Amino acid sequence: MPLDTSTTYPLTRLRLDGRRWNELRLLQAQISTNPASSGSSYLAMGNTSIMCTVHGPAEGRRGEAGGGAGNAAGAVVEVDVNIAGFASVDRKRRGGGSDKQSSRIATTLKAAFQSHLHTYLYPHSTISIHVSVLSADGSLLAAAINACTLALVDAGIPMPGLLCGCTAGMSGSASTARDPKNDELDPLLDLSLPEEQELPSLTVGTTTAIPVGEDAMDDDEDETMKVSLLNMDAKVHYTYLETMLAVGIDGCTQIREILEGVIKGSNKIVVPRSDIL
Amino acid sequence: MQKASSASQTPHLSPAELSYLYTSLALPGAPIRPDGRSPTQFRPLCAETGILPGTNGSARIGFADGTQAIVGVKAEVERTDSGELSGSSSWVQISVEIPGFRDDDALPVFLSEMMREALGGVDSDTETDTGSETGLKGRLVINRRWHWRLYIDVLLLSQPLSYPLPLLSLTTHLALLSTKLPKLKSQGEEDPFFDDDWEVAQNLYPRHSTTVAPPITLLVVSVGENIIFDPNREEIAVADAVMAVSVTRSEKNSSAKSNAEEGNLALKPNPKLKLLSIRTIDPPSRLTQPGVPDAENATTGDEEVAGVWRPRRGGVKRAVVANMVQLVLGEVGEEVLQGLEGFSVHT
Repeated sequence: MPLDTSTTYPLTRLRLDGRRWNELRLLQAQISTNPASSGSSYLAMGNTSIMCTVHGPAEGRRGEAGGGAGNAAGAVVEVDVNIAGFASVDRKRRGGGSDKQSSRIATTLKAAFQSHLHTYLYPHSTISIHVSVLSADGSLLAAAINACTLALVDAGIPMPGLLCGCTAGMSGSASTARDPKNDELDPLLDLSLPEEQELPSLTVGTTTAIPVGEDAMDDDEDETMKVSLLNMDAKVHYTYLETMLAVGIDGCTQIREILEGVIKGSNKIVVPRSDIL
Repeated sequence: MQKASSASQTPHLSPAELSYLYTSLALPGAPIRPDGRSPTQFRPLCAETGILPGTNGSARIGFADGTQAIVGVKAEVERTDSGELSGSSSWVQISVEIPGFRDDDALPVFLSEMMREALGGVDSDTETDTGSETGLKGRLVINRRWHWRLYIDVLLLSQPLSYPLPLLSLTTHLALLSTKLPKLKSQGEEDPFFDDDWEVAQNLYPRHSTTVAPPITLLVVSVGENIIFDPNREEIAVADAVMAVSVTRSEKNSSAKSNAEEGNLALKPNPKLKLLSIRTIDPPSRLTQPGVPDAENATTGDEEVAGVWRPRRGGVKRAVVANMVQLVLGEVGEEVLQGLEGFSVHT
């Protein structure tokens, strides 16, 4: 699909949707959207919208991996991703089971949250996460990470910090070594679908480091971020990687603030705002 | 895993509780339901339409028990091979997605086929074969060579707590009510050419119409002589028969009138509603084991003991089914259709 990101961007420094390189799309989120589950969330990043429900921690269903007894060391996280037929512009035909994209996202989410959550608190149990993609416009994995985090917070499952995801890319093909004197390419934050199809990008997920030792009591003014997930499908010259990572991590910090706002804001009914401060 | 075609899931109730529930639901004339509703009263639900900007029509419904469904309708232009103007039921494609089930599991397939039957079978009978626009497929014809193909994707967002058919059907109804197709600019047999202004797009089903509406499928149970609408899980567990009844608005009042003139079952159905199908989801005998001699069968052995639940046997009486149909075609069906239209007014 010939799009004009690479031709117009150097001239205007504006992306297809009018954003500058370091701007996120509008991020809106809600938690506790589905009363029938332990935790649920709705998250929209631009035109990408995702609903996520969490069931558990509960006794695993019999006949599944782990033989119903589950893992004695801790809870098992199960992730099921469903990209709706109407999610993209043209309706996608699916044959049977699930497609490659959704199972890749599911595997990545499972690996990320299995190690992120304090699963040791719930031996012999299963935490099942169901992600429904209602509308897909790029950064699916990042949006799914954020939606899952919110739903898991809503379910009250302990975790060391919010796991936030964001994508970062380069504004050109970035296949040759970077020339520091004549740097033409800009890093881009939070890619939309047309950009994602055309440009190299990576998804980064960060969380806060668990405070240990002397720092544990410190006020977390300058929280150190820890990368806990990194996923890249494109090909890019290694000299650009550092820039992309830095931009991605910065995006995660911004998303983290928004998500914290959502979580604190949703408590208003229980605790009036003035009492929190 | 529950049996796909059965509405009842293992109820965590004792035989005494089940018997109590059955007795109170079967009280002649005035059943007492566990949540205090009247037999024809529905649980409150919340709904919204037009939630997905990327679709031609969409809706979300949340039932009181927390189960939610989202339906998105997408339309594509396709070439007609046969050159017919009557439409084909294969132009409507429904897929049902239920968490924890594969696409080709029995429950999603069964549900989607049941809903497609109501949608596609609308004008398959003889009275409307004259290219009528009542049914959905008649509305999809553009001209002799082109037609719309409709993809209806149904997502259940939570585990099926009770039989999800009414939820999915009502959500599909709302989504179809909110479905808009681009306005046609070309005329007659030209290749279709559409106005690219979404503001002038036309509704697939006209607004506030008293003559046409997408079909709805309601779950109705009978307990004794009583007919109960919108049953919850416990009520389904003790019900005699669980039926799915599909109705729609009918353009032609004449057929209903002629039925009434013939004194058909002495019914006085609302002439605006038309019965599409009745399907038995669960017969009364669903809990009795097949192929077991009576002597060894626990459900047929001893006589009834008061206060102990025993699975029902046999079938359902004609009078009960007739009563059920009369209620659905009467005020209940009309009330549900009007209630759902109320949701889509503001969009």
